[in-house]
Amino acid sequence: MAASFTLRGALLGVSRLRCRTPGPPAGAAGLRFVCNAGPEERRAGIIESTEEYKFVERLIPPSRVPAPPRHAGVTPSGWSPPADSPPPLPYVIRRSRMHNIPVYTDLTNGSRKMTLIRKVEGDIWALEKDVKEFLKEVTGKELPTQVNEVTMTLKVKGHFDGELKQWLTSKGF
Amino acid sequence: MLRYSLVICGRGVAKRFASSFSGESALPPNLLLPTNLVDPDRLKRPPPPADCSLPVLRKCDAVIPAHLSPVQTWVETLESRDSEPLGLAHLHPDVFAVPPRLDILHSVEIWQKNFKRISHANTKVRSEVRGGGKKPVETERKWKSPSWKHQISDMERRGPTSYYYMLPMKVRVQGLKVALSSKMTQDYLHIVDSLNIPTPDSQYLLDLIKHRHWGESVLIVDVGEEIPENILQAAASLNTVNIIPAIGLNVHSLLKHEAVVLTLETIKFLEDKLLWHDQRYTPLYPFKLPYSDFP
Repeated sequence: MAASFTLRGALLGVSRLRCRTPGPPAGAAGLRFVCNAGPEERRAGIIESTEEYKFVERLIPPSRVPAPPRHAGVTPSGWSPPADSPPPLPYVIRRSRMHNIPVYTDLTNGSRKMTLIRKVEGDIWALEKDVKEFLKEVTGKELPTQVNEVTMTLKVKGHFDGELKQWLTSKGF
Repeated sequence: MLRYSLVICGRGVAKRFASSFSGESALPPNLLLPTNLVDPDRLKRPPPPADCSLPVLRKCDAVIPAHLSPVQTWVETLESRDSEPLGLAHLHPDVFAVPPRLDILHSVEIWQKNFKRISHANTKVRSEVRGGGKKPVETERKWKSPSWKHQISDMERRGPTSYYYMLPMKVRVQGLKVALSSKMTQDYLHIVDSLNIPTPDSQYLLDLIKHRHWGESVLIVDVGEEIPENILQAAASLNTVNIIPAIGLNVHSLLKHEAVVLTLETIKFLEDKLLWHDQRYTPLYPFKLPYSDFP
């Protein structure tokens, strides 16, 4: 009974569709198609809502590295924040984008060990002098170094990344 | 272009030599001046002193590192030819006071020139050269060495070749920063509050540039697509004054034009976009897809 009722309603709707001039899209026609069944069977139309998009938005990742939270001293992982004011030295070594000391080791030709200090600003020759003095105390040898003034980097022969990182952190960089 | 710039540069200097020529104020036609001459009129306006009374119209939004201080420049106006600067602007040192890496500037300029290049030079290979082929009927056999007259090596120019390559994004960004810093330190960068001019007259623009000794070619950069009609009309007929949107800023245009004029909104846009690269993650997915805090 209900099926025949809706079928008659569907046929009526289809005939109305044919004699009507092309207007609203098929979705709206489909709506009317259902609504033609009768006023007591009228359901709500399609509602567009963007309120649930906030659940998608909170999943989209950020593109910037966040600033680390305030720590007083060394963290359990060994990381320590830079000093609030730059130390009174003629050079400055900036932190990397992940807030680490920019000292890296390099191994080329199978056995050539080098340590690279990047992101130096200011008087790089004063830094070279200080690094040579510090490594003389640590190893007892005069290590060859290479200063690149264009890229503002310092290379030292040998792997000394741990010692240099600790030394630079103690200076406040 | 070089000779023209020589004449322009030499004009200020040649005034001093003019008295040595008998009764002539025109430059002699065979005058040869070195290319690194600086026009003394350009150096008349020094950078703003520390105790300037003009208001600071723009401060840096981004955090400046503790060991650096912002770059201070005048903010001028294009309203009238003889107007005084309106105030000062603070520019971020990591965009406008970067060390002059000429190697990065060179590599970005060469990349910009070559990555679009497709050379259509083509030569025919031996199979494509006209003529030749097997003889239809076998004639008297004589032993002959093969003739290499029409042979073409496969190694020669072959078909359209593309010279496309991409420099890393950070290198290209650093190139822009180095170019802007170079313009800043050489006094070729001018900041303007807005691009409103009173008349759409090209001569007004030329007079203004001449009076303020900006240089012979000016690149005007504005943010967005709504550029005032007057300045668009004035610059339309000039080939040494060009207006571009801020997204179109590139190293080749910065080097090609002598002076660069930026508005305050342009500076904010450039600082946002260029400083973001110093603190961004490596891309998880291409940056054209949405991120929550993309600049």
